[in-house]
Amino acid sequence: MMQKRSNFEQVLLTALTVLVVFFFMAPVFWLVTTSFKFGREAFAIPPKWLFFEFTWRNYTEVLETTKIGLYLTNSLIISAGATILSLVLGVPAGYAIARSGSRLLNMSAYFFLVLLMVPPVAMLIPFYLIMRDLRLLGSYASLIILDTVFDAAFVVWMMRSYFADVPKEIEEAALVDGASRFAAFWRVALPLSIPGVVAAALYVIIFSWNDFLFALMLTSPATKTIPLGILASFSAVEISWGRMAVMCLFAIVPALVISLFLNRYFIQGVTMGATKG
Amino acid sequence: MTVIQEQQAVSSRGWGDRLRRALRSEGAYLVMLLPLLLFVVAIAIYPLLFSFRISLFKYRLTDPNQVQTFVGLDNYLRAFQDPIVLTSLRVTLIYVAGTVLLEMVLGLALALLLASEGRMIRGTRALLLLPMALPPLVVGLVWKSLYNADFGVIPYYLKALGVDVGRGPLAELGWAMPAVILIDVWQWTPLLMIIFLAGLKSLPVEPYEAAFADGATRWQRFVHITLPLLKPTLLVALLLRTMQSFKVFDVIYATTGGGPGSATTVLNFHIYTVGMTFFDMGYAAALANVLLVIIAILSVLYIVILERQQL
Repeated sequence: MMQKRSNFEQVLLTALTVLVVFFFMAPVFWLVTTSFKFGREAFAIPPKWLFFEFTWRNYTEVLETTKIGLYLTNSLIISAGATILSLVLGVPAGYAIARSGSRLLNMSAYFFLVLLMVPPVAMLIPFYLIMRDLRLLGSYASLIILDTVFDAAFVVWMMRSYFADVPKEIEEAALVDGASRFAAFWRVALPLSIPGVVAAALYVIIFSWNDFLFALMLTSPATKTIPLGILASFSAVEISWGRMAVMCLFAIVPALVISLFLNRYFIQGVTMGATKG
Repeated sequence: MTVIQEQQAVSSRGWGDRLRRALRSEGAYLVMLLPLLLFVVAIAIYPLLFSFRISLFKYRLTDPNQVQTFVGLDNYLRAFQDPIVLTSLRVTLIYVAGTVLLEMVLGLALALLLASEGRMIRGTRALLLLPMALPPLVVGLVWKSLYNADFGVIPYYLKALGVDVGRGPLAELGWAMPAVILIDVWQWTPLLMIIFLAGLKSLPVEPYEAAFADGATRWQRFVHITLPLLKPTLLVALLLRTMQSFKVFDVIYATTGGGPGSATTVLNFHIYTVGMTFFDMGYAAALANVLLVIIAILSVLYIVILERQQL
């Protein structure tokens, strides 16, 4: 970094970077272009990367023949529900853990961390049986509740380290002025931490939008989310990869928006949520 | 009251008073934490106990009478004699070790490659965030089409290079595991890149200046300064990714379905099959608990390392 790099090295590093971008972007590029290839065009050998017959027909057919509207609505309802619930429960909890002087409360952060590590499959059987006994199978509520357990754990863990970095002095001044601890949180700490809340919210949206396993186990035909909708719209016999690509594109809209336009928050989420003790 | 006065006041009184004071000052925090704690205990901890109970029973959902027969630890004993479970444990180990090691090495390489702050580099880094935000199921479907034996891009170019993969990478015994590992590497290497970039940025400058003055080569600086200083970050990332890698399900479901044979049947997938296809709930719960114990051990390690890093 301090030594100046030779021209040869510069060229080599640029070539490597191009290769890296190609590796990570090619599948996405392939998905996008395939959505504009109709019928056999999508299966052309040799593969057509740039020059192919461009058409919107896959899009019109998906809108006409599949229940994509329903799937997207369901995904939206469940993601919104899980996001709101996990922020409402998780943000104050994260604040409490960050600010409390009690060692026990501080340590409870690790309880949420462990929860984050639990493979959802390991909880599948009890979750399924309990939702069955509560007669919630196939309801939005069942998915929102299960998503929230893991989402809120992430929010707590992330907001805890975010609040820990917000200087305490302003809140202490408010406390001296007679504000309650709730007011100090609501009026002082929270407004200062909006970027952190946004970052946590984006993660939670992604987690619940992308969830497949819980949806696979708990949704009914009326509450299928978009990942399940994709699978449900195609039989094993007749696969139109062009139309499937269209549905996949709808499914990755949040990911695209967040990683391309809100990546600053996204990066913050990784470093805050994963590696800060 | 200043802090010192407060402390003196506390120590001059008894324990009961102290507890009441603690409650008064910490009570508000407890109230903020409690709703979530209760929610999680109700939704996650109760099922966990439920799962332990059910693992001691023979309970098939398909049984018309829904009989639950107590069998003690039989389900656990059965797990350790079940050849499929032993195979799936081996498969899981290969999958986790393969993905995590590759991603660690590549993630560090990427972080070093993309560490500078030019506009182009920053744009490149932003692009690389996309894979990990994608729904794993969609990632699986996209790669499945790329791997397709008849019209897939990858077998086509492999064939052009003189490598014949027969029924496609996902359907051939020797290829399936590397093929699903590659998908995981594609999706999760950028996560490690970001973690390592943050780690690299927080390194002190002085050791590098000293090494530079001593005429150390770039490689020597990397091995003797960067790696040792980065060790805590590397450890945290290693454990984090290991635990995440254990969670793999969607991609396997979308691509190989655990096959060919049981070449990609990770423990996760096997549990799902036992529980949700065979409806053998007691046995599935026992297997799930074995997985939970593995994760619990890893989590404790992770926490110990995070705590030490803080000091």
